[in-house]
Amino acid sequence: MLTRWSDLDRTFTVMDELRRRMDRVFDEYGGYARPGFEEETRASAAWPKLNLFDTGAALVVTAEVPGLSEKDVQLTINQEVVTVSGERKPDAPAGYSVHRQERAALQFSRSFTLPTKIDAEKSTATMKNGVLTITMAKAPEAQPKQIAVRAQ
Amino acid sequence: MSRENMISKRDAELAEAVQQRPAIAPAVDVYENKDELLVVADVPGVSREQMTIHLEKGKLTFEARREESKDGGLLAAEYRPYDYRRTFLVPQGIDADKIVAELDHGVLKVHLPKAAALKPRQIQIRGE
Repeated sequence: MLTRWSDLDRTFTVMDELRRRMDRVFDEYGGYARPGFEEETRASAAWPKLNLFDTGAALVVTAEVPGLSEKDVQLTINQEVVTVSGERKPDAPAGYSVHRQERAALQFSRSFTLPTKIDAEKSTATMKNGVLTITMAKAPEAQPKQIAVRAQ
Repeated sequence: MSRENMISKRDAELAEAVQQRPAIAPAVDVYENKDELLVVADVPGVSREQMTIHLEKGKLTFEARREESKDGGLLAAEYRPYDYRRTFLVPQGIDADKIVAELDHGVLKVHLPKAAALKPRQIQIRGE
């Protein structure tokens, strides 16, 4: 039975694309929905997940830290290196049997280097809905500057 | 249906699926005691207004839409604000009217109280 190569190829391409998109989602969410044995290896090195934004005047870092409040997180800024650390305590209620446990308790400490100089004095951090937002104003010499273009 | 039709139909279906908002299933703990089932889920970045929970035909579904934050130019991202969606089968005998949910610090807790019929009962053994 003859099969046209282009037909098969098209199917595989489409399947490949779907698999690639699924992989991307799984990669970003590292340990989601995996049973207990994966928990030790689950990155306390890569928790919490961070995003970095540049608003022009400041650098903003957001981190997903569900279950933590302000006093559970320590934030240190040393020149361009930011360290976020703390502990997520187990919150299993007493007297209940456990059917499923996917949320891990862990201690974490993540450090990362910022791409530009920031002013640590002018930095603030807030927590809302389990998301930590760190806003760091850029140092004056790192602020973007408009340069006027003049005719010669 | 010719082979050509099958493949182009599949193309079209997948194209639609890709345009749906992508959602991920958040990590969940499920506990039980004699009075209730307790479902605890990590859903950072979601407020009460964005979270919906419904129980239908024995299936508990919670989902939340998230917006892209507009915090200026994204330099590096380890997570994207995907929507959350997860469905569970719940046993019969949950008192649907008394289900209570709380959302605090990005953690959703859903209390599913057991109707009286489902609660464990001591059964007396009659002796001779």
